[in-house]
Amino acid sequence: GGLTFTFDCSAQNHVTSKLSFTVFYVKLYTEIHKPFSFRYKDLHVYQLEHPTQVLEWTSGNSVCVAGYSQSKNEILELRLPLKLLADENKSLCAERDFKVSHGGFTDGPVRCLTHIPGTRCAVTNDGLSSDLQVWDLGGEESDVIRRTGSIKGKRSASERGSRIAARPSSAPQVLHGAQISDVQLTELASGETLYKLETDSADPLSSLQFVSDTVFLAGCCNGSVYVADTRTSAPPQLSHSPSSAESVIWWTDAAAGPHPSSRRVIRVSSSGQAVVSDLRNLGGAGCQAQLDVQTPGRCSQVKVSWAPTLDDCISVSGFSGVVQIYNTRLWGAEPQEARPLFEHRGHAVSSQQTDDSVPTFVTSHIWHPERPRTLLSAASDGSVHVWDWVDPNRQGGSPTP
Amino acid sequence: MPEIKVTPLGAGQDVGRSCILVSIGGKNIMLDCGMHMGYNDDRRFPDFSYITQNGRLTDFLDCLIISHFHLDHCGALPYMSEMVGYDGPIYMTHPTKAICPILLEDFRKITVDKKGETNFFTSQMIKDCMKKVIPLNLHQTVQVDDELEIKAYYAGHVLGAAMVHIKVGSESVVYTGDYNMTPDRHLGAAWIDKCRPDILISESTYATTIRDSKRCRERDFLKKVHESIERGGKVLIPVFALGRAQELCILLETFWERMNLKAPIYFSTGLTEKANHYYKLFITWTNQKIRKTFVQRNMFEFKHIKAFDRSYADNPGPMVVFATPGMLHAGQSLQIFKKWAGNEKNMVIMPGYCVQGTIGHKILNGQRKLEMEGRATLDVKLQVEYMSFSAHADAKGIMQLIRMAEPRNMLLVHGEAVKMEFLKGKIEQEFSIDCYMPANGETTTVTTNPSVPVDISLNLLKREMALGGPLPDPKKPRTMHGTLIMKENSLKLVSSEQALKELGLNEHQLRFTCHVQLQDPHSDADTLHRIYTHLKSVLKGYTIQHLPDGTVIVESIVIKVSSSAEDSNTKVLLLSWSYQVKTWTLFLEAAALPGVTTKLSSRHP
Repeated sequence: GGLTFTFDCSAQNHVTSKLSFTVFYVKLYTEIHKPFSFRYKDLHVYQLEHPTQVLEWTSGNSVCVAGYSQSKNEILELRLPLKLLADENKSLCAERDFKVSHGGFTDGPVRCLTHIPGTRCAVTNDGLSSDLQVWDLGGEESDVIRRTGSIKGKRSASERGSRIAARPSSAPQVLHGAQISDVQLTELASGETLYKLETDSADPLSSLQFVSDTVFLAGCCNGSVYVADTRTSAPPQLSHSPSSAESVIWWTDAAAGPHPSSRRVIRVSSSGQAVVSDLRNLGGAGCQAQLDVQTPGRCSQVKVSWAPTLDDCISVSGFSGVVQIYNTRLWGAEPQEARPLFEHRGHAVSSQQTDDSVPTFVTSHIWHPERPRTLLSAASDGSVHVWDWVDPNRQGGSPTP
Repeated sequence: MPEIKVTPLGAGQDVGRSCILVSIGGKNIMLDCGMHMGYNDDRRFPDFSYITQNGRLTDFLDCLIISHFHLDHCGALPYMSEMVGYDGPIYMTHPTKAICPILLEDFRKITVDKKGETNFFTSQMIKDCMKKVIPLNLHQTVQVDDELEIKAYYAGHVLGAAMVHIKVGSESVVYTGDYNMTPDRHLGAAWIDKCRPDILISESTYATTIRDSKRCRERDFLKKVHESIERGGKVLIPVFALGRAQELCILLETFWERMNLKAPIYFSTGLTEKANHYYKLFITWTNQKIRKTFVQRNMFEFKHIKAFDRSYADNPGPMVVFATPGMLHAGQSLQIFKKWAGNEKNMVIMPGYCVQGTIGHKILNGQRKLEMEGRATLDVKLQVEYMSFSAHADAKGIMQLIRMAEPRNMLLVHGEAVKMEFLKGKIEQEFSIDCYMPANGETTTVTTNPSVPVDISLNLLKREMALGGPLPDPKKPRTMHGTLIMKENSLKLVSSEQALKELGLNEHQLRFTCHVQLQDPHSDADTLHRIYTHLKSVLKGYTIQHLPDGTVIVESIVIKVSSSAEDSNTKVLLLSWSYQVKTWTLFLEAAALPGVTTKLSSRHP
């Protein structure tokens, strides 16, 4: 075959009419001839045998993925390449590959996978019912991931399956449910239900997460958000959906972090609307934007996430084969079109998909908990990318760590 | 039961020394003879004491096969053949035969000259060893002797690398060596037909990795080169021979073209000579019927890459130079390195593994001050980059190969003590075959089920069919009686009568008799009748007849009763049977007559 060599020289594809022709020409010229290394400090591209919809950290340098085909699938724990993690002697390290440190087999698809912090335990849901499967990820002596038990959920059949959240500290406990009225906290060791969310609403959930050791946020598909405390049986705080449009689905993420200002919640809709509000005042005025998503409406696995260490940055994926990063500080009270700060287009550009009728889309992405600009993203063609992007606003000189 | 034995040789559990012993159909074959680069003592050699405690290996091995020229697969070859002693045939592909001695000589020089070792193989030993080599062509069956045959398949990985199919009778084994399932710019992907070997032996060091794409590795390489050139630095890339160097040249040439870069790129003249030699080898190698993707071009028609002259090293400004040898241990690459090491704007990119004792190895271990000849020290200020371009099969690759070859059993060889239960489970589940993982020094025995084709006479077949019952199948074999005639190389199953006829022999009948005494006051006829009734009640399903001539017949066993001459209460049963053991055993079990003591005295016919 011939030699194909592609590199992404341009940070921005859009050429607005605001630029005059000469300025445009110069800009385009410099874009092409800009050192192409500028956009990424590191980039690793992998091809799994089967695509994954889940990406979950099990430690600072290992991540779990799992297949979602109808029958048997694999769960894999992958260790990140040494070269990526080596900060000091990076140049002397040639190791660029993922190492499959542990692996196991499931009987069905894996639609949700949560690691229990401080343990070698993970909990999964197959998206067909609200039952959960419990797994031992294996230790030094064995590289096999074994199923150790299950947790009965409320529904034997569920369209979307359950969302799962692990309690940050304390003994291993999981919060789970397929719809808001089903949310319960189960102790893993005994299977005992320690808490149940008291509400009548049957709205299906699109997200579930702890914002502190006992307080959690449950985001519904219709955009409403519930905040409750597992210590009390008091009714949850409810914040209604930003939009009353029926066919619109919403996804939610709450920022985690020590600063009170990082107690923010973002909601993104299938039409590309993004709303940011404060956790203590969800209904109050926050900021919003219309995201620059390629195919609004046509999305199934949208993921929105606050960057763990970069203030005000959020990432969005699932609308297409692109992962976008936005700076919410630029957003105002009125919804305006927002431009992404950075776009990772790798999955769309180098798609391995054989079926052209269904374009590749990103199934999931996660931020590294400590490395400020390192992300992992997975797509429907089985690709998994690990990338460390360069902030285009801080360019001009060597890439910053 | 026929079986194949596989033993990975060598002490220690480290990766890095391939040497596998296979016993198949009475033949002993050694696969690869690698050196472990990390050790300085005898641990670097495979442990040949497993084969024999002392003395030469010639009598114990039928042949030795080398998969490719990497030192961890052929580094111990001269030691084994000339110092331990082996005079039998050594098989390897043509390119391997050409390149091996060069690498071995390089390695020998480093070990003896740089590290000052004395007990090491000599240049003459390398030459003598290579005289024993019989070169292989791809896909060509070679008869090692009357019974043992071997065939080489394309493995990708490096120039000349082969996977080997070994066959004795109807048992076979395939050894992969190092292989690669994704094509390269200058090498194709490994390929094998559905040869269904009893065992597929594969290295599994990289089995638990998922490889970063080639594009990303290339991107990284280009990024580093570009960054150095941009700041006015010089880039040195020490390479061994064409192959990998060729790929990097093509990469740089394309990049230079796209980015319209002006800095010069050179390759050293030593490389040019070797390159022409390898180019010829390469062409004959790739002219075989193999699946490949490689760039068809004259290896030296580069627009941006020119021949190097040693005076250019002092030229100001940025440049890129490819120079030999690959580990910076001597020659031009070392000379250039010494000149450029002191400037932090410069860079050296090591594209492969460096043997201990070389400058390459030292700088890759972070050493920034080097001791040179004459006590001079060299400050290493330039940037050192280690980039790996070698292509190995990962987990996905192993599954692909198994799918291609369809082995009956899988055997993974790896030096590490780490268990790979998950991969074992994956292979066993997906292909329903057994997967073995012996440690070094541990023997795996795989029972094979070779099928022996035998002709059966139509009469015999018809007779068996007439007996009725289910048709035979592999899970439920059916026993039949017949005579196996072996004539020359063919096997034939016929009925006993036909065999006797063919052999011109008469059939003889054997009948056995025995006397059983028992106490019974009744008359002879009554005793006989009692026996008849009893047998009829216990031996259901068997033909039992009471004939008017005073005998009871159970199948083919005849029973007569007569009184003892001395005492009329003592009855003597005469039992006579033909050679049908089955019925007799059954008869014995059931013959315990209630309330009667028996005394068996058997008499031979």
